[in-house]
Amino acid sequence: MILSLVFFTFSFIFYILTTAAYAGYWAFKKKWLGQTATAMAFVALGSTTMILISRAGESGHAPFSNLWESMVLFIWATNAGYLLMEYRHKFKAIGTVVMAIETLSMLSASLLPYRFKSVEPLNPALQNKWKWMMDILSTWGLEKYAIGWLDFHVFTTFIGYAGFAIAFGLSLLFLWKFRAETRNVTNRFVEAFPDSKVLDEMSYRAIAWGFPFLAVGIVSGAVWANYAWGQYWAWDPKETWSLITWFIYAAYLHARVTRGWRGKRAAYLSIIGFAAVIFLYWGVSFILPGLHAYA
Amino acid sequence: MAEKANEAAGGVESRWYRTLGSRIWYFLNSLKLTLFILIGLAVTSIFGTVVEQNQSIEKYIEAYGEQWTSFIYYARLQDMYHAWWFLALLAMLAVNIVVCTFERFPPKWKSLLNHRNDKFDPRLIDKFSHHETVRLNESADTVRAKLEGVLKKRRYGVDSSGSGKEFHLYAWKGRIGRLGSDFTHISLLVILMGAIIGSYYGYKDFTGIIEGKSITVPQADFKLRLDKFWIEYYDTGQVKQYNSVLTVVEDGKDVFQKQIWVNEPLYYKGIRFYQSSYGQAWNKVEEAEIALKLKAKDSLEESFRVKWDSVEKVPGSKYSVKLVGFTGDFAYDEATNTVFSKSPEPNNPAINIEIYDGDKLVSTPWLFMKYPGIFPAIPDSDVDMVYIGHKGLWYSGISINKDPGTNVVWVGTSIMGFGFILAFFVYHRRIWVYIKEEGGSTEVKIGGTINKNQLVFERDIKELTDSITSDSASRGR
Repeated sequence: MILSLVFFTFSFIFYILTTAAYAGYWAFKKKWLGQTATAMAFVALGSTTMILISRAGESGHAPFSNLWESMVLFIWATNAGYLLMEYRHKFKAIGTVVMAIETLSMLSASLLPYRFKSVEPLNPALQNKWKWMMDILSTWGLEKYAIGWLDFHVFTTFIGYAGFAIAFGLSLLFLWKFRAETRNVTNRFVEAFPDSKVLDEMSYRAIAWGFPFLAVGIVSGAVWANYAWGQYWAWDPKETWSLITWFIYAAYLHARVTRGWRGKRAAYLSIIGFAAVIFLYWGVSFILPGLHAYA
Repeated sequence: MAEKANEAAGGVESRWYRTLGSRIWYFLNSLKLTLFILIGLAVTSIFGTVVEQNQSIEKYIEAYGEQWTSFIYYARLQDMYHAWWFLALLAMLAVNIVVCTFERFPPKWKSLLNHRNDKFDPRLIDKFSHHETVRLNESADTVRAKLEGVLKKRRYGVDSSGSGKEFHLYAWKGRIGRLGSDFTHISLLVILMGAIIGSYYGYKDFTGIIEGKSITVPQADFKLRLDKFWIEYYDTGQVKQYNSVLTVVEDGKDVFQKQIWVNEPLYYKGIRFYQSSYGQAWNKVEEAEIALKLKAKDSLEESFRVKWDSVEKVPGSKYSVKLVGFTGDFAYDEATNTVFSKSPEPNNPAINIEIYDGDKLVSTPWLFMKYPGIFPAIPDSDVDMVYIGHKGLWYSGISINKDPGTNVVWVGTSIMGFGFILAFFVYHRRIWVYIKEEGGSTEVKIGGTINKNQLVFERDIKELTDSITSDSASRGR
């Protein structure tokens, strides 16, 4: 019995329940439903954290080395990011969309073939630990807990992905709300969400987190590639697609300050950007050959 | 050219050649061009990930057919990221950045320096998207002191003017955040510069070295020797790591030794040596296994092993054998009369041996593992030699890379990181307050602007208002 897979099953159930609670809050506007939803989101976050911890224990390294593990990290970061946003802005109905994305991610991770889920030792290229950190930790004999470029690169990249996922959900909501506003549609489903202007602003804030973190992910990948593969940039499909994604979000940031491009077109760019993220993440791994074959 | 732009705007007779400069400038200065370039780079980059880069022409023909292959070569999709049109897009981006910075940075810089001189008009406060008005039962000066205290505690710079019953406050914070975009834009130029330096003055190479052998390093005055190579395995049999011990040899002397593995290169005089692969050597073996064949009996005698470059007595015969050559994928060049290996793969392994009868060299045949007996080892003899197998030698695959632009790229990325912190996490806030005491109560108008994150600022203004109203007995709005 692999403990991490047990926690995964529990988390899957929690995310379904969380989504249902948020949807219930959105539909019925009951305060207790909203509180339940937030509490459930915290339970799901705790459970996702346990997947990562137990997997780290099983494999003996940070749980960032295959597609399944990185999916769990993505789900964890999206949940944490969402809860932070909910705490700061107090718009709970948005949780319906974000948690639906989480549930879909859980579903796709659970459908992965077993070879993408199994506990594997690190191949030579993935074994990277910061020497300075090992030196410090070795004082207490803890050097095996040192992290390296692998951990830093994957972690920062996935914070970026999480930001983009949240922005994607918000951009969808923006388009829907914007349409309702221009057509003067008012009903309680539309009313549950903040103004399109606020949704646009929040979506921008999510990208303002995702964009620099993706950049840090790309740069740390380049630093590491320079160390492991002998060059910082090789136009490998993964590298190129990360740059494509980065260009699209750069375009989004410029669109927001360009007349005729703010609002709807910027929202479309955010949606296209997330499609690029999905391709960068899953498409490249499965379809395009390259050095970056793990996840 | 900026003058020209002003000229045109000033209503000078506009012939096409007079306005051309300003039009080009306007075009290069536009954000729409930025969007066009960014989306253009994103879309075109996709081609290069779909069409595998830098393959042989045969591979393209096999995958896409002849017509598409000629299109691929016409559009340079086989090496897209170095194609002139892709580089032109990058150059356009650079020009766009330079022009935008020239156009926008100086006025921004000036206004950031002179921001305190901005004219103050109380009526404008109500026009800000974030503003509040409150009425308090306190004197104007008390309110001013309180607000000033709160703002300073929140790390705002504060200017106050006025006296008696009327005060103006101007507070600001995070001006440097405005420079984030400039830092980010300039960092991109620095990164591009690093890439250009690398492609002009750097090189990449790959070499396989066998233990004990040295290689000459290109564009350098030293050699590199492989002392030892070994592979570590996990218990499951998967490769855990592969390692090489390398020695730098300068003027015939060993000057530096290091053990390298994947993720741990050797760095010497601006050149990095990476452990990048390993494999079976194609031009040398550790030892070969050979058996004597008696033609009369048509059967093999017991086999024997001969080490590289050493002599072994053949059991049951008068001959001895010396192993002098090996090739993994045998090929023969008739023009130069030489043997070479078609590929590094052991597709057609062959060994070259010298056969001695006592001290006399009898023959030097090539023996083929897959084609035993194709050529007789010893002409006109009743015995033959059969090449049964060999124990291969590993070579260590070392990537050699010199890229003096790398550090420039890292400088660029550091500037970018700094720029991002300023651009995304430092907000330029400006707050104006108008305080006026009239008929026993004081009216306070608070309003302001932020360059980003409107949602945070809305709360800021509200909190600021609350801080002066919360302990005031009567408050009305």
